[in-house]
This record gives sequence, structure tokens and C-alpha cells, in this order.
Amino acid sequence: MKGYTGKILLVDLGTGESEVQAVDDAVYENLLSGVGLGAWYLYRNIPAGADPLGPDNILGFTSGLLTGTGSVMTGRWMAVCKSPLTGGWGDSNCGGSLAPAIKHCGFDAIFFRGISPRPVYAYVDNKGVQLRDASACWGLDAVESEERLVAECWAAKKPAVAAIGPAAERLSLISGISNDLGRYAARSGVGAVMGSKRLKALVLAGTKAIRGEDPEAVKNLSKAYSRTMRLVNMPAFLKGAVLPLMGAALGAVKVAYSLDGMVSAMMFKRWGTAMNSTYGMTNGDAPLKNWGGSNADYSFKYYHHLNPDRVLARESRKYHCYSCVLGCGGVCDIKDLGKGEYAHTHKPEYETIMAFGGLMMNKNLDSIFYINELMNRAGFDTISAAGAVAFAIECYENGILSKEDTGGLELRWGDSEAIIALLRMMIAREGLGDLLADGVKRAAERIGKGSERYAVHVGGQELPMHDPKIDPMLGVTYAADPTPGRHTTSGGLYYSTSFLWTRVSWLPRFKIHPKAEDYEPSERGALENVAMTSFKMLIDGAGACYYAMLTGVPHFRIFEYLNAATGWTKSPDEYMEIGKRIQTLRQLFGIKQGYDPRKVRIHDRAAGRPPLKDGHNKGLFLRTEEMIPYYWKAWGWDEASGIPTEATLRGLGLDELLAEEAVHA
Amino acid sequence: MPKASPSFDYGTCMACRACVDACPFSCLEDRKTGLERYNKAFPEMARPEKCTGCGLCAAACPVDAIAMLPSPAPGA
Ligand code: SF4
Ligand code: SF4
Ligand code: SF4
Repeated sequence: MKGYTGKILLVDLGTGESEVQAVDDAVYENLLSGVGLGAWYLYRNIPAGADPLGPDNILGFTSGLLTGTGSVMTGRWMAVCKSPLTGGWGDSNCGGSLAPAIKHCGFDAIFFRGISPRPVYAYVDNKGVQLRDASACWGLDAVESEERLVAECWAAKKPAVAAIGPAAERLSLISGISNDLGRYAARSGVGAVMGSKRLKALVLAGTKAIRGEDPEAVKNLSKAYSRTMRLVNMPAFLKGAVLPLMGAALGAVKVAYSLDGMVSAMMFKRWGTAMNSTYGMTNGDAPLKNWGGSNADYSFKYYHHLNPDRVLARESRKYHCYSCVLGCGGVCDIKDLGKGEYAHTHKPEYETIMAFGGLMMNKNLDSIFYINELMNRAGFDTISAAGAVAFAIECYENGILSKEDTGGLELRWGDSEAIIALLRMMIAREGLGDLLADGVKRAAERIGKGSERYAVHVGGQELPMHDPKIDPMLGVTYAADPTPGRHTTSGGLYYSTSFLWTRVSWLPRFKIHPKAEDYEPSERGALENVAMTSFKMLIDGAGACYYAMLTGVPHFRIFEYLNAATGWTKSPDEYMEIGKRIQTLRQLFGIKQGYDPRKVRIHDRAAGRPPLKDGHNKGLFLRTEEMIPYYWKAWGWDEASGIPTEATLRGLGLDELLAEEAVHA
Repeated sequence: MPKASPSFDYGTCMACRACVDACPFSCLEDRKTGLERYNKAFPEMARPEKCTGCGLCAAACPVDAIAMLPSPAPGA
């Protein structure tokens, strides 16, 4: 076995029929598994112009090529579909326990088309798939659903479950898919697609073996990585309170430099992504007050509220996704919060802490813990849900929304009780909550009155908690990636720790340079973005974690891992070509579906139009529109339209791969 | 009683739970805490009566932290 199973499961929820299809080796050799396999299947099988919430859309659950082969940090799965938020390519990455479970059933991916006449869940084991009645689960939250289905379906092996909550059942376009009791594939509106299919859950109970070509070689790479991971530890005397100072000091440096990626692992090991909750305020990363404010508004005297040590105070144990040796997650006790209805929650991510903290000027950390569980159970993407609440607060503060519109709620910055009340309205789709449940773009279209200036999104997707004004490459990615508004694809910071230039022949050596250079549109910047994005596509094809990616290729030896697992002898350059192919296919998918990259613009607030008047990012602005043509050209896409050229498609062999003959049933 | 059962070297184990997932009978659980400063949850045998001694958990461990040792005699 070459790490992959070579099979996909296709389920038509409309007819109840299913089919197992063999996939040619050429597909894996050219696109890996995971996102590449998903893009390959969806491009060929979703008709142009398909309604994202209609029967023609296909929802795929993909595993990773390295998942289960003895590799570490490779337990990530992806949900793929046409995005109802953007109308283009949709994907969302998630950890937990689902990725190996897909392969234990004997498949690299499971694809659902059609719409079930009644709520169902799909139960898959070694024998195949059954669609089972889910009426008893419909209406339950995502965590309750998973617990119930595990109890109902646990025969020999405890099944892995992906489930949706009420938000997705009610087709909220900002809903996601949960597994492992609240780990989320949250972005791109993937939950709404699952809800539209009336597919409450996917329950996986297979026990088939997963094997790579050379398990010993794979394990040797894992052992070396694990040894280093064990050795990197934050000194105990460095407390969370020093992080804002570190952020301020590093944020003041005017040159771009590269740091060993294990430094980030060290911080994630202790705090998880919560390490950025105050660090990110002083280095300009965090968008505050719905992107209109700065760290002058959310001032130093409030930082202790979001100190990551305070986040850790609730952590009763660490949480690791499958095969992870870092363990950025945690299980937190919250029995004392709210009415005591929830015993635990996953440790809130930085995105959630900042989105429900700084973005809406909320200083109440306990409320963030509570909201985290409320959102995980309802099934909302916390980034987008927070974006919608911050938008509503700013509309209210500026007289665009009245107390009548809000159902009597006083929506003020930082009022955690009002925030929770509004979220409950979004879950129930009541009043204003109904508008907000489909994200800020649609809410602003319906509210009008100039509210669009407070609707911070790109191409329909709410922006994550990373201000591109300190990272212009990230700004290009926000606007020009096939999944706009995505912070996990590429950026200058990630590139600087990747050390890709030590392995890839066509990359110039990284030189320390003035940061100001990164704000100039250039071929160098575009090339580095292409490299970083291609690397990320490999990570997503392999099923690896983005925090493994951040440790860089000297540590996380993905090229060697892939060769050991598959028996291939590809060079780093050949792998990077695979990354380019996957990204070009994601772009091509959007083009086929009528997504026009030229119409997607970065939001003025994210670009610094006008620039902020105070705080770390004072005076900074981006020239993203001028950078994008360089970026498109560097991919071999038309620099005016973003459409991949014929020559590029031929050069990447995509013309052949997308022909039907690649599959034999 | 199987001939062998897994024994964990917690000095090498990374708490990655690949073994927990690999067991076809879900004999193992990641629930052993308090072993180190991060309070990670390490695997341990939770359902010994289901263990067949198949060794799949040991084969799945990325860092070879599991040894399959002869099971103690019944009543030992
Ligand atoms: S680093 Fe965090 S997100 Fe990544 S695999 Fe490990 S626990 Fe999951
Ligand atoms: S030896 Fe087999 S049955 Fe026993 S715990 Fe390991 S995998 Fe499970
Ligand atoms: S697979 Fe190995 S390293 Fe991972 S938890 Fe089990 S014993 Fe520990």
C-alpha cells in the first residue's frame, strides 16, 4: 500500500444509492489525496452554475495521504464543496479523529450528492454504507448528536462522528461541521451544504488497515520530529503577562527576518493558539473594534483579561488531534459558567478569543469560554459569527440599527450579555439574528443604509483575526486565494519560517530585508506567495496540520515523508509542482462555477483605506490590487483575469487529468 | 486472555493517540494524566477483556513507544 487506499465512496442521498470507485494512481501522483483528490472529483462532477444548497452540489470528506502511515501531525481531514458563501471553491480543514476513520473504512474520501427526502446519517464500516434515519437527532446540538450516535453505533470499535448542529440544519451560511465534540471544519459555509442535504452526521466504524510503502522510514522521520518537539519548551519563568511586551518588541522591528519554526511550536505547546491573544494585540496582528479600532482602543490596561495564562487556568488536560505530537488543544472546565449547562469546552482558539474579545471590545474571558461552547454546539463558525455580531454592534452604535430592529437589545461594544443574547437569536434565526446567520455580506445587502462599510468580508467570507496590514502577502491571499478571507493558506510570516528556499531550486535565498520592501508589488513577493501556497496545498493533500507546516521543512520533512509513504522518488521541486497543480485546480473550479476573481476585493478596513490614525498599524496601507497581477502571473494565470492559461493547464497536465478516462469504475 | 498485551513507555510516548485509534476494539483510552508538566492525556488499557493481543496498536505507534509483553498469568 502506498499510504492511500485508491478508492472513494460515492453516495447519492436523493436515491439512496452508493458506489465504490477506484481512483487511478495518476491522480494521487499528480494531486495527492485530501484537498487535491477532492478538487479533482468536484471539478469533474459538479455542473457549472450548480446551486450550492441544491442537489447538484457535492460535499466531500477527504482524508490525507499520510494519515495513518506512522507519520505524525497528519490527522487532518477536509470538507470540500462549492461554497454557498462565495459561490466558488469551498474547503475547510479540521483535526480530531475523522481523518484516519475515513481510511479505516477503506476510502480516501467520501462524497455525497443529492438531497435526502428526510434527515439521515450515513453509517460506514468495512462492509459499506447505510443511510439511517436521523429524525431522533435532528434538532440536537452537534455535541449531543455525536454522543448519541457514538452510543447508538458503538459495536466493536468506537466510531468517529462528524455532525452538524442546528445552525447548519437551518442552513446558516456561516455554519460548519463538528467532530470530536466540537473541533470544527468551520469555513466556506460547509455546514450549510451538509444541512441542505439533510445529512445530520457521518459515522465511521471501519477497521481496515492503513499502510505506507516503507513504514520504518516513515517512523524514523516521526521519531526525529518527535525528539525535537519534546526538547522545545518555554522556560517556566516566562509567564503569559510578558507576551504583550514580546509582541511589542518584535512588532517594532523594521526588518523581515526568518526564525526557526520550532519557536512557534514551543508557544503552542504551552498555551495553544491562545498565546496570540495579547501578543497579537501589540504586534498589530489583531483587528480590534470590528477592524475600525486599534490597540489604542483596547489598551494595555485590559490585556490581563485575555492573558493566555488565564485561559490555561481552566484547562484540565491537553487535547491532541489524531497523531499529533504537539497538542495545541485543551479540554477546559466551564461548569461554573452560564446556568452550568456545559461541563467542558475545547480550549477556545485564538481566533475565537480575539473575535469575541478584541473585535467587539469584550473583556470578559468567561463569556468567551461560554460562547465558545454555545457556538460549537449550535454549529457556527466562530470567526464569521463574531464578524456578524461586531457588524451589528457597529450598525447599532451608528444608528443604522435601532432597538426595534434588535428586538429590544442594546447592542454596545463589549457588552457580553447582549452579545450572547444576539447569538441566541442567530441560532434560532429570529429577527435580526435571521439576517446575521447568513454572514455580514448578505446582512448588509438586506439592511442597506450604508451598513456595507461595517461588513468586513472578502468575497462573502468574514475575515479572520489577522490584520494583513502587517503582512502584505496575507492581504493578497485574503483577496486572491480561491477561498478568499482565509488566513491559513499563505502569508509572509509563514513563508519566513518555512525554509522552503533551502529545498526548492527556483526560490531565491531568504535575505533579511527592510519590511517596507514587502509592501511593494514585486515578482519576488509573488513567487514566495506561490511557493508558500503550494507548500500548504501539499500539507492539505497529505492531511498534515498547519502547525506542523509552521515548523518548516527542516523539521517537518514532508517531501521525505511522502516518498517514504508512497515509494515515490520525487524531488522537492516535483512536489511543489503538485502544490501548484492543486491550487490551479481550486482556481479553475471557481472559474467554472462563475466565480470572477476580478470582482473580489479586499475590504477597505483590512487594506488600510483610510489608514488607522493610531495604534501599531497607524498609517499602514496595502497595495493589494497592484500585487495581485504579479501573483496571478507567477502561477501562470492570466494576469488581468486570474484565469489559468491553456499553456499552464497543459504544463501541469491538468487537461489530461480532468478528462474522464482518468477514472475506471 | 491474549498471549501479549501492550505496555507503554511513557518516556517516549508523545500522547498522539494513534494507538487508541488503531485498536479495532477500542481497548485503549487516552485518559492517563498528571505524568508531565503539560498535563497531556496518555493512553492506557481501558478494556483489557477485549484485547486480543493483535499488536496493531504497537504497529501504529509512530515512535515505537509500545512493547507487546507477555500477559500475566490469570490471577497473577
Ligand atoms: S497542533 Fe493542534 S491543531 Fe494541529 S494536529 Fe496538533 S492538536 Fe490538532
Ligand atoms: S493488542 Fe490489539 S486488541 Fe490489544 S490493545 Fe492493541 S490493538 Fe487493541
Ligand atoms: S501511538 Fe505511541 S506515541 Fe502515540 S499515544 Fe500511543 S503510545 Fe503514545
